[in-house]
Amino acid sequence: MAQIKLDIFRYDEAVDAVPHRDTVEVDVPVTTTVLDALETAKAEVDGSISFRRSCRSAICGSCSMNINGVTGLACKTPCKSVMNDQGVIQIDPMPNFQPMKDLVVHMDPFWDKYTRLKPYLQPADRDEDHETERRVSPADMKKLVDAANCVMCATCYALCPVVSVDPSFAGPAAIAYAYRFIEDVRDGKKKERLAQINEDYLWLCAHCYACSYCPKHVDPHDRIVDVKRATIQEGVMMNHPGPRHALVVNKTIKNTGMLAETEVILGTVGRFNFRGLLKIGPQGLRMAIKGKMPPPFLKPIPKADEVRTIFESLEVPT
Amino acid sequence: MIKHDVVVIGGGLAGMRAAVEAAERGADVAIVSKMHPVRSHSGAAQGGINAALGNTAEDTPANHAFDTAKGSDYLGDQDAIEAMCDDAPRQIIWLEHRGCIFSRLPDGRLAQRPFGGAGSPRTCYSADVTGLVILHTLWEQLERFNVKVYEEYFCTALCTEDSVGAGVVAYNMRNGQLELITAKATIFATGGCGRMYAKTTNGYASTADGLGIAFRGGVPIMDMEFVQFHPTSLKENGVLLSEAARGEGAHLLNSLGERFMFKYAPEKGELASRDVVSRAGWTEIMQGRGVDGCVLLDLRHLGREKILERLPQIRELALDATGKDAIDTPIPILPGMHYTMGGIETDKFGATRIPGIYAAGEAACVSVHGANRLGGNSLLETIVFGARAAKHACEYIKESGDVRPSERTLKAEQERIDGWLSKNEGIRAPQLRSQMNKTMSENVFIFRNEKELTKAVDDLLEIRKAFDRDVYVMDKSKTFNTDLVHAMEVDFLIDAAMCVANGALARKESRGAQARTDYPERDDEKWMVHTLAWRQDGQNPRLDYSRKVTITKWAPTVRSY
Repeated sequence: MAQIKLDIFRYDEAVDAVPHRDTVEVDVPVTTTVLDALETAKAEVDGSISFRRSCRSAICGSCSMNINGVTGLACKTPCKSVMNDQGVIQIDPMPNFQPMKDLVVHMDPFWDKYTRLKPYLQPADRDEDHETERRVSPADMKKLVDAANCVMCATCYALCPVVSVDPSFAGPAAIAYAYRFIEDVRDGKKKERLAQINEDYLWLCAHCYACSYCPKHVDPHDRIVDVKRATIQEGVMMNHPGPRHALVVNKTIKNTGMLAETEVILGTVGRFNFRGLLKIGPQGLRMAIKGKMPPPFLKPIPKADEVRTIFESLEVPT
Repeated sequence: MIKHDVVVIGGGLAGMRAAVEAAERGADVAIVSKMHPVRSHSGAAQGGINAALGNTAEDTPANHAFDTAKGSDYLGDQDAIEAMCDDAPRQIIWLEHRGCIFSRLPDGRLAQRPFGGAGSPRTCYSADVTGLVILHTLWEQLERFNVKVYEEYFCTALCTEDSVGAGVVAYNMRNGQLELITAKATIFATGGCGRMYAKTTNGYASTADGLGIAFRGGVPIMDMEFVQFHPTSLKENGVLLSEAARGEGAHLLNSLGERFMFKYAPEKGELASRDVVSRAGWTEIMQGRGVDGCVLLDLRHLGREKILERLPQIRELALDATGKDAIDTPIPILPGMHYTMGGIETDKFGATRIPGIYAAGEAACVSVHGANRLGGNSLLETIVFGARAAKHACEYIKESGDVRPSERTLKAEQERIDGWLSKNEGIRAPQLRSQMNKTMSENVFIFRNEKELTKAVDDLLEIRKAFDRDVYVMDKSKTFNTDLVHAMEVDFLIDAAMCVANGALARKESRGAQARTDYPERDDEKWMVHTLAWRQDGQNPRLDYSRKVTITKWAPTVRSY
């Protein structure tokens, strides 16, 4: 048994103008999870401490919260892995959500992101009275399994810096869920889904890898990359800046071994998109005045052909 | 005031399947749930769902029904069992066509694995997250049909007018308001009640809510003494390690390194039914052949690849809780409370004795599981009987007139809650929950006897009285007051525990999960009857044995594995 001091964010949206913190001490073994320590604190010390929880085995996704500043499932976090020398653990609600009470947050914006995706199978053939299952190869099914392990705990959504600055971004979890349908051979709406997720600011993802920390190993970041790749492979929304940017970056590095910035800008905005070019014109001018305008044409690096070979060996046939 | 034709209480598999069925039939349906549907404990089901598809070996629904009847130790109603097993293949195909991610055979058909007590491999699965993928598929269908979900509404009471169901009272957890919800048909799908025990595979939310509500509303509760103890739960936290482990070939070992199951079940060994395996494991531990109060689940010979492909979740759960990696170490396990065979009494259509009130899933007792449930049949029951209850509710509402619940129940519920909130001293519900957990775990466990059961009955009556007299809620907030919700849950749990203990004491025989050391034999002369429990305020339930077991094809015979 050890004395664990839970330093908890306290707030009630109905009565409190500002939050405060309480420290609650509990006697539990250090192997106890943060969730069970909270449960003990609530049962034995202060019944008003509020948090969501259900399964306590990392499958329901209820108990995502900030533990020492890092979002994760409280039921999967042993106290000994997060307490400091004084036995203190700081517990806060998930960021990127509006707090409701203590560690409970308003989840609705997160669920709305799913609803927008039409998160249900839309087979080409809508007749649902079948005698037998559809045949799907184990390999095709396996592609969905990683994404299917998602428990919608919102850890990735809370950790996403893009969501924090632009709440219209679909967020990692919803994109991973979209991937589950995009890659499902039984679904008949692949292109429509890709178009929709592109509209939902797929390309805002900054590839910071924050969402690679996933309690269920869904790896939403990799799923975002998969969806981007599928967008290009299917040729969806190719006149939009996102796919164009990806392609032109790819092209200039493949050809020159370097990022040809001028070309990337022109390629992303569109060479004949005069309005778009006019919009970035003043910035280009300021860069030129400060001597920061990259050269319009780049001389390839020595042995650029080796870079090209690497690219070609990695290219997925479309 | 909220008003719908059909209201489903609970958003797990049974509840969502019912709601989707009602939506497909064009009914005005809503779900009332204390959690978002994807948080439901159905998602924790790991191993699979049974259907006699015969994809990997010859199989028929009749074989499935026989295994289920035998597994139930002949207490299951065979008409309901046959209905379930006949409908099983159709329901699995239904799920598959709605996108459920099942594991596949090389030719693309659904894979099936062996499970305990089954004559052939008939358990469809998705690695070891079968409950989760079905839960998601059904939630997706709710989204598709735009079914209204009253999320984080805790249902507190049933409203009846002239002995007909008229709706429920529910507590909106977000703002602390009690609301009257009018419904021509109400379907309870609130899951089990594992939290009456200290160690359980169930989540914190499995608290007998629907059971307690229906019981108070005048519906009898059936066969509650039959509590399933799962043979392989983790000692540290009670978390489940799926029967799929043994289905895939894992061994159970005692401290001598011996595969002890063949002493108890010479034919099936580790794949005997759960009551048999749990008793065997516990006997080994009691006779001194345990390891730190456990026996060992050995997966090592399955190999890394198979474990990572088919059992990744249980490997991680064991790793998190014990620090032991099942790939190279046997995992210490012991029997833990897992499932309630009993529940709200229904007929084979999911209807209770009160018109307009239905129940489905673990909350219900149809009874298809009788005295012992087979692995893979619980998910099946939720899907089959969720759909059936909704189908019959939809037919019922066509003929039933409009209902107008009076404010009477709403007022009574407000008084009950205000009473707890206005008090500042007394006993808090978690204290009484601990007392209940203690007596249930010590006195109503795998092996039972009159002395211990009497102790449990007496303890629980005291706990019931203490609750009614002294309970108070510490949190006075109107916002997300889980202290209050937990008190209501404990209130219901105590009722359910009283049904378990009283039923177990009165049933003087051993059958399925009820093993009486003082009555070690099954007694078909006297006990081919269901236990019906009726609520009596502040007293032990009144037991009644008027409902006989329905036998269609399989007369009781000696049950061995």
